[in-house]
Amino acid sequence: MNLPGYYEFCCRVKIIAGHDALEKIPDALAYLRARTPMIVSDKGVAGAGLIDIVTSAIKDGVTIGAVADDVTPDSDLQVVHRLARLYREKRCDSLIAVGGGSVMDTAKGVNILISENADDLMKFSGANALKRALKPLIAIPTTAGTGSEVTLVAVVKDHERHLKMAFVSYFLLPDVSVLDSRMTLSLPPAITAATGMDALAHAVEAYTCLAKNPLSDAHALAAINLIGENLVRVTRDPGDKNGRLAMANAATLAGIAFSNSMVGMVHTLGHSAGSVCGVPHGVCMAILLPYGLEYNMHKNGHLTAELLFPLGGAQVYAATPEGERADKVIALVRRINEDLHEASGGRHPRFFREVVDREGKQMVPREKLPEIAKTALSDGSLFYNPEDLDYDDFLMVMETSWEGEPLERRKIKKG
Amino acid sequence: MFSPDRYEFFCPVKTNSGSRALEHLPFELDTMNATKPFVITSQKDARRGLVDVIIDAFKDSGVTIGIFDGAPAAPGMKLIKELFTMYRDGGYDSLIAVGGGAVVDTAKILNIAVSGAPEDIERYAGSDLITKPLKPLVLVPTLSGTGYESSRYACIDTLSFSSCFLMPHLVVIDPRMIVFEDVETTAAASLVTLTHAVEVYTGPEKNPLSDSYAYAAIRFVMENLVSVIRDPRDGKGRLALVNAHNAAGCAFSNSTPGMAHRLGKAVGDACQLSWGLCMGILLPHILERQTSEDGYHIPGLLLPLAGFDVYAETPEHMKVQKAIGILYDFQRDLFEASRGAIVRSLKDAEVPEEMLRDIARKAAGRSSTGFDADVSLMVLEQAWKGK
Repeated sequence: MNLPGYYEFCCRVKIIAGHDALEKIPDALAYLRARTPMIVSDKGVAGAGLIDIVTSAIKDGVTIGAVADDVTPDSDLQVVHRLARLYREKRCDSLIAVGGGSVMDTAKGVNILISENADDLMKFSGANALKRALKPLIAIPTTAGTGSEVTLVAVVKDHERHLKMAFVSYFLLPDVSVLDSRMTLSLPPAITAATGMDALAHAVEAYTCLAKNPLSDAHALAAINLIGENLVRVTRDPGDKNGRLAMANAATLAGIAFSNSMVGMVHTLGHSAGSVCGVPHGVCMAILLPYGLEYNMHKNGHLTAELLFPLGGAQVYAATPEGERADKVIALVRRINEDLHEASGGRHPRFFREVVDREGKQMVPREKLPEIAKTALSDGSLFYNPEDLDYDDFLMVMETSWEGEPLERRKIKKG
Repeated sequence: MFSPDRYEFFCPVKTNSGSRALEHLPFELDTMNATKPFVITSQKDARRGLVDVIIDAFKDSGVTIGIFDGAPAAPGMKLIKELFTMYRDGGYDSLIAVGGGAVVDTAKILNIAVSGAPEDIERYAGSDLITKPLKPLVLVPTLSGTGYESSRYACIDTLSFSSCFLMPHLVVIDPRMIVFEDVETTAAASLVTLTHAVEVYTGPEKNPLSDSYAYAAIRFVMENLVSVIRDPRDGKGRLALVNAHNAAGCAFSNSTPGMAHRLGKAVGDACQLSWGLCMGILLPHILERQTSEDGYHIPGLLLPLAGFDVYAETPEHMKVQKAIGILYDFQRDLFEASRGAIVRSLKDAEVPEEMLRDIARKAAGRSSTGFDADVSLMVLEQAWKGK
């Protein structure tokens, strides 16, 4: 087990998981001395009937003070203020966030305002500006991927002033995360695939990048194993409750792993492709993951090789000679993408040129690749990547991952 | 991989481990809104200079610290009351426990008092009776622990406490504090750790989160204990062992104590032996027994015990046997590395054979997990003879 010169690890979120975990929320709130939660969610989640499932699971045990199901797809300062007003008006005493990343971000922003009794969110931005516990926050993820139910970060955008505020504090961690298989049962195959690959990228980069530690490693290995066994299966068979719960566990484990070890170039380029072309984060992760592993191979191939055990299983690991294991892992990740492509009726893209929006229009035109490469240069996540990348390197990775060709190893500059 | 139908997991501990970890303490206290910590340690640790390292870490930080370096091996309620007065009169707002065992018990119990009132303490004895967070408690462990430091457990006099609020908020594992100890002390905490982690990993409450902590703990003990016993100068090994103690404490706090834990304690208490030694002797015998019982997950244990390669090349039907064999080999290696100090049977530990029946009955009486006196006796008899 690797023991680095120095590391930190922390995940103070209580995890309640199961096929009927939602029913435990009233007790969890009572334990936190709260009884009147406000539910924060978005239209998509409400439209899928998930808020109804949550409310009917908890309504006998608590008074639901308010339901705000109109969080925008991008967390927005105005919305945060409006929800804080609603919370105060309805005299709520806690928050239940039901949804994905932006719902979690919004709920965390609301929590800062109401707990600090503040009007100016900006005052609390940055690292460790919060000094005391906030109001009880329960997170219920509705995808199995982002891991934001266990992260200490929130991003809120001020669309009027074109500002992006980031908040980092252990006090932003939800008190409880509830993983219930019912929350992901209706997830369409393409979203199941992309979010699952997001979780895989978290765990793989946590294990293979520079800030790894023994506890993040243990969480990452467990996550990768669960994803290897379940992701393709649940994408093919969305009603597989056990597979859904296993994926929810995997996403949380991966979230804990990466938020305690940081990530690398897969995220660097993924962030850029997301911000330049609006490609969903999970899709970027799925496409870029094999390229990140290929690019760093000369630095961390021994770590990538180890991942054959959790990803491919003990038999594949034993049957593959040591020197071929890292390549086998990369081949397996590509294979998973192919399987997901097929299981989602072609909706899960394998390369950037395959990414289309709702109208079927290509989202990443080839001429945008230089801009993506340029944007990547200023992303902080590169710091923890084993090998350096300059503009040309980023562009090379983007071009090959656009085409769907493997990287030419001889072109990788070894620093 | 095993994914249970339902589980809960909670670990409030933040771990900072490695070079100059203590230097982060002023910052860490600030994030917990604490400005004046009260340090509790033992005379032994103060004498060997460990407190000086703590004082140095606060130099230039502007933080005032108070130090009590007289925690005895068996603290009593009278001491807690004295410490409460010192804490209150000194205007402290947080606790730092430096060391292991009784020092940490003292700090945990004192934390109940200073977060409320000293007369509250007895009221909270028992399981999950503390209902709100206590003051920030930092643990700076040494190698002289018992394996319980990071856990939800504390005891004083005849009272025992169990609450997640007793777990330290922050554990700072700094190599300068992990000075070497005698063989018995080193082995005791690490064998408690191994037992706890193995029972979490194989027990009926197994889940992927407690498994992650248990996995790290088991790997660290298996990779480092024999070499540290053989050569206590192995600083990296000592550091890994304390990391294991911490991880296992977190895992163990999320699980009902298993049979090796309970029987090991019962034998230790009855015969004035270290719990760790007894648990370590009993563990493989109990696993052998549990192999045929429902609800246990023994084959997968081979993975943290031996690593990917051995696990992958061992056929499915051989995994249990292999795992238990590795634990017996481990006992042998420890016996040899300690030149016979870490014995492999209860007989060699000088447990009188005629006491086994009584120990079995007592342990079964205490049990809430349904193992009866007959089964306990059978296991004890096997462990008495040894492999």
